Amino acid sequence: MIESFREAFGRALVEIGKKREEVVVIDADVKGSTKTIYFEKAFPKRFIQVGISEQDMIGTAAGLAIAGKIPVASAFAVFLMRAWEQIRNTVARDNLNVKIVGTHSGFSDYMDGSSHQCLEDIALMRVLPNMKVVVPADAYATKVLLEQIIDTYGPVYMRLGRDYAPRVYEDGTKIKLGKANVLRKGKEILLVAAGTLVHTALNVAKMLEKLNVDASVIDMHTIKPLDEKTLLNYAKRAELVITLEEHSIYGGLGGAVAEVLSEKLPRRVVRIGTVEFGQSGRDYLALLDRYGLTPDKIYQKIVQVVM
Amino acid sequence: MEVSEVLTVKLKEMLKPVNGFHMNSSLTCLRILQAVLELKKEEDTIIISKGHSAPAFYVLLWKMGLISDEELMSFAEIDGLPSHVTRGLPFIEVSSGSLGQGLSVANGIALAKKMDNKKGRIFVILGDGELDEGQIWEAAMTAAHHNLDNVVAIIDRNYHQLTGHTEDILAKEPLAEKWKAFGWEVREVENNVEKLKETIIELEKINDRPKVIIARWNW
Repeated sequence: MIESFREAFGRALVEIGKKREEVVVIDADVKGSTKTIYFEKAFPKRFIQVGISEQDMIGTAAGLAIAGKIPVASAFAVFLMRAWEQIRNTVARDNLNVKIVGTHSGFSDYMDGSSHQCLEDIALMRVLPNMKVVVPADAYATKVLLEQIIDTYGPVYMRLGRDYAPRVYEDGTKIKLGKANVLRKGKEILLVAAGTLVHTALNVAKMLEKLNVDASVIDMHTIKPLDEKTLLNYAKRAELVITLEEHSIYGGLGGAVAEVLSEKLPRRVVRIGTVEFGQSGRDYLALLDRYGLTPDKIYQKIVQVVM
Repeated sequence: MEVSEVLTVKLKEMLKPVNGFHMNSSLTCLRILQAVLELKKEEDTIIISKGHSAPAFYVLLWKMGLISDEELMSFAEIDGLPSHVTRGLPFIEVSSGSLGQGLSVANGIALAKKMDNKKGRIFVILGDGELDEGQIWEAAMTAAHHNLDNVVAIIDRNYHQLTGHTEDILAKEPLAEKWKAFGWEVREVENNVEKLKETIIELEKINDRPKVIIARWNW
């Protein structure tokens, strides 16, 4: 079943809004695309429009947080990054309770091309002290993690794709902020994935069975703080660790995993992700294929490395 | 409280070991902060967006007995008073030091107060050089659009920015007309702390739009 990240986000926000009066949503004129428009309809007095001005949006969110609100500032991930310095100097430095949700990340805004595709945000957010970085694997995880993000004090960046969210989790599955989910227990190879590539990692693990390669799959939905304990536990039994993300291999999940393993449990780490800007495409999956992020392409790459 | 020779001397003494760190900016900002601190009610908030004028704020805190002589002289020392305005100091709600961000934060506080039907003005001190930052004008539009009449911006119009005269670096004038065009109630005050205070009080009567005072210092 394929659902939509942004639909899940928009609907979850409304449900949270019913329970938490302090939740306020801020938009930079993309409410129809991010689906925060549902929150505006449900709670018009708690919805703030600042126009196409992401830097002002982050500062306004900071002020709302100072005054005791729980602001959720949302826009396309790539355009939130133009406010990176505002996020650094005003939100993260003062450890303010601002929730930042970047939608349309990775290649998911396929038609809009490289200007709209965000492949750097995990790296940019991960480097900031106080900031938590969360990348849900599907629509269900988006809802469950968003609830926990709202209930946890401090700045958080949540990264979402657009609409392509194949189900990874059954309803009711336990997903805990800061705790990786082990989806498959194997040996030899450990696949650590985040976001849309969690589902892909499960497919790749099935394909590897044909080669009698037994792979573990971990959903590292919280990239910061990274669940080092689970990572080290599963890396211990593996000879090869492969990270999968719809993001640059520099500084994202791959970087985070490689940093931990190189210090605490040296293993060969192969980072699968991107190293270049994207381009326009009429079909999301075809674009992922072009950049080597489909199960087939990833499988082929792993076979090359293993053989 | 007057901007006495004592405060100016103290400011200079404080900044001597750091080669007069932002002395000019602090000398004019001292006058604005003095007016604001004297008029501040409990429910009011102060945001010093031009965070490099922290020294002016410190000498006023010293004058008010909120920091000691020893603390004042620890300016920019490790574990001493931070060189730029930092959260955790008396009256300070948000850290600054990166220009252009304070007005947005003021708007956020103002919006929250309006949602909760709470009283209180949000004073935000801006530098004239700081107006080069685009975010100021984004925030100016936001404040006007949302009729944030609880926001009072005061521009420290000292005509100096880092590398020269403001009008040589990037012309700001006609400043009053620009703010008016953005939907703000505008006042101009020249070289007079008492007049500045009178203007702040007078602006309390305006309640349908944000307010800005251009405090000009010819020196």
